[in-house]
Amino acid sequence: MKRVFYIFALLLSLALGACQQSDYTYDDSPQGNLDALWTLIDQRYCFLTYKEEQLGFRWSEIRAKYSSKLHPKMSRTQLFEVLCQMLSELKDGHVNISSSIDLGRNWSWKEDYPENLDTELRQKYLGTGYHIGSGLKYTILPDNVAYVVYESFSDAIGEGNLSDMLNLLSLTNGMILDIRGNGGGALTNVEILSKRFTNEKILVGYTSHKTGTGHDDFSEPRAEYIEPSNSIRWQKPVVLLANRSCYSAANTFVRNMKEMPHVTILGDCTGGGSGLPFSSELPIGWSVRFSASPSFDARMQQIEFGIEPDIPFSLDELLASQGKDSMIEEARRLISEGKLN
Amino acid sequence: MKTFRTIQCLLFLLCIIPSSLYAQQDDVVPVAERRPTARALLFGIGRTRQLDTYLSPMDYTGLQVSFLASSERMTHLLDSRVSFQSSFFGAFTSTDNPANTANYLGGRLDYHAGWHYNYSPLKGLNLKGGALLGADVGFLYNSRNGNNPAQGRFSLDVSLSAGVDYKMQIRRLPLRIAYQADLPMIGMMFSPEFGESYYEISQTGIGHDIICAHPGNAFSVRQLVTLDFCLPRTTLRMGYLCDARQSYARHLKYSDVSHSFMLGFVRHFQFMKRL
Repeated sequence: MKRVFYIFALLLSLALGACQQSDYTYDDSPQGNLDALWTLIDQRYCFLTYKEEQLGFRWSEIRAKYSSKLHPKMSRTQLFEVLCQMLSELKDGHVNISSSIDLGRNWSWKEDYPENLDTELRQKYLGTGYHIGSGLKYTILPDNVAYVVYESFSDAIGEGNLSDMLNLLSLTNGMILDIRGNGGGALTNVEILSKRFTNEKILVGYTSHKTGTGHDDFSEPRAEYIEPSNSIRWQKPVVLLANRSCYSAANTFVRNMKEMPHVTILGDCTGGGSGLPFSSELPIGWSVRFSASPSFDARMQQIEFGIEPDIPFSLDELLASQGKDSMIEEARRLISEGKLN
Repeated sequence: MKTFRTIQCLLFLLCIIPSSLYAQQDDVVPVAERRPTARALLFGIGRTRQLDTYLSPMDYTGLQVSFLASSERMTHLLDSRVSFQSSFFGAFTSTDNPANTANYLGGRLDYHAGWHYNYSPLKGLNLKGGALLGADVGFLYNSRNGNNPAQGRFSLDVSLSAGVDYKMQIRRLPLRIAYQADLPMIGMMFSPEFGESYYEISQTGIGHDIICAHPGNAFSVRQLVTLDFCLPRTTLRMGYLCDARQSYARHLKYSDVSHSFMLGFVRHFQFMKRL
């Protein structure tokens, strides 16, 4: 009987003793939170090697650099600022700290560049009688050019809405697809829209994900294809207007459209943001967002810092003051003159 | 307050009702023909600690409510020494991170069935050992994560199972104390890769995310201690359930350790000969 008792006591202690503990042994102190954040980025951020090369910092030195700014009795706000400064080294719009104090961010990808967008001007081109189909606003300009505005990939697109829109615009000479200011959203919407612009399965890029905690532990890149839609597909020239505010899913859309026939990208370099963001948190309870899975273009090149347009073009302030959007006007000219394939 | 009164009443009943129906007619009809069956339904409440590094590196702690429906019956195999057991376990959890700024909601369903060989070295004492086949599905949802808001769980396993039960009487009150431990030994489980998103899984399928599970990468154990009080028409069962489900695969740690107080009833059935 005693032996039986000992066996079960052993089993019980084995079970309780083998319970795994949290990954973080960091306490909720300024240093504990900084160490936790540093480790999180060190193990899970997907662009560390690339950013070290491009931006010239060493992540291994960052911990000491910002630890020197901490002191045990600093306020939560002060700690928040130090942690945000540390993350700003990455220059990544997908990297944020979210707290009740503020949203820590680095938006230099758009704030350091001209906007190349005047929303009031854009509204003038749309007029008042434009159509709205899910998140898409569209009209036909006087020179028989379709003008479509898509402001956010967070706005769902219905297949029926898309078919009706393309049907309505089918007799125009071409389409201006204006996604300036589109900061991203759902990748499913990117796919739904992209597949209307190709008649064949087309390679648009690659994606990968981290398989371990090492900086270069990645899975084999997986090819991403866009299959043509079974419904109405656009067969005429398209000018895609882009600017620095095209980020994340909008950046992915521009990547896809770059591979499509009949599509010309006009405007500024996109803002980038090619990492799919994941969320985590710190001992203090603040949420942290970071890029976890990188995507690449069809030539396996990084698009984290944006995609160059086929035709670089800026918004002319003088023309804007006269009520004309020079980027839309240029796109109209290209379509009307039939200079696009 | 009402709950306490109910428990007081139940305990009072236990003290005053002598057991007259316990194991009656044991030696008249052979066990193989009677095939005695015990069906239990227990409800539990307890604390749980959850860690899933796919969602967060922090330990979340909180409440678990659960149920355990089990059935055990003797078979005619090996001179009626083999019993068949099946159990269906379900749990719902709500846990918070240490800073109380985020919340997990979780759910789990688990079904196990298998056979035990029973051996009785002393009167009233029964030892048993065997194997169970099981399936487990569940989820954990983090209320504020973006592209990794939830983690799904799925596993199939073969468990080793061992138990002991002892029947005794205290002041003419028949009691049965039992302990059982189930230890998954081999199986398969779903686990995404370290940084793999569910969006990517939806594009590629889950085939490559089904991996072999064994105590080296998924040490889990479920232990249940119960105490049965026999009443005239039924049996009251109270117990303690310690359920530790863990895995460490693809650099992702998962741990769900719960401690629950269980309370419910057991019904005993057996085939009777027509007179």
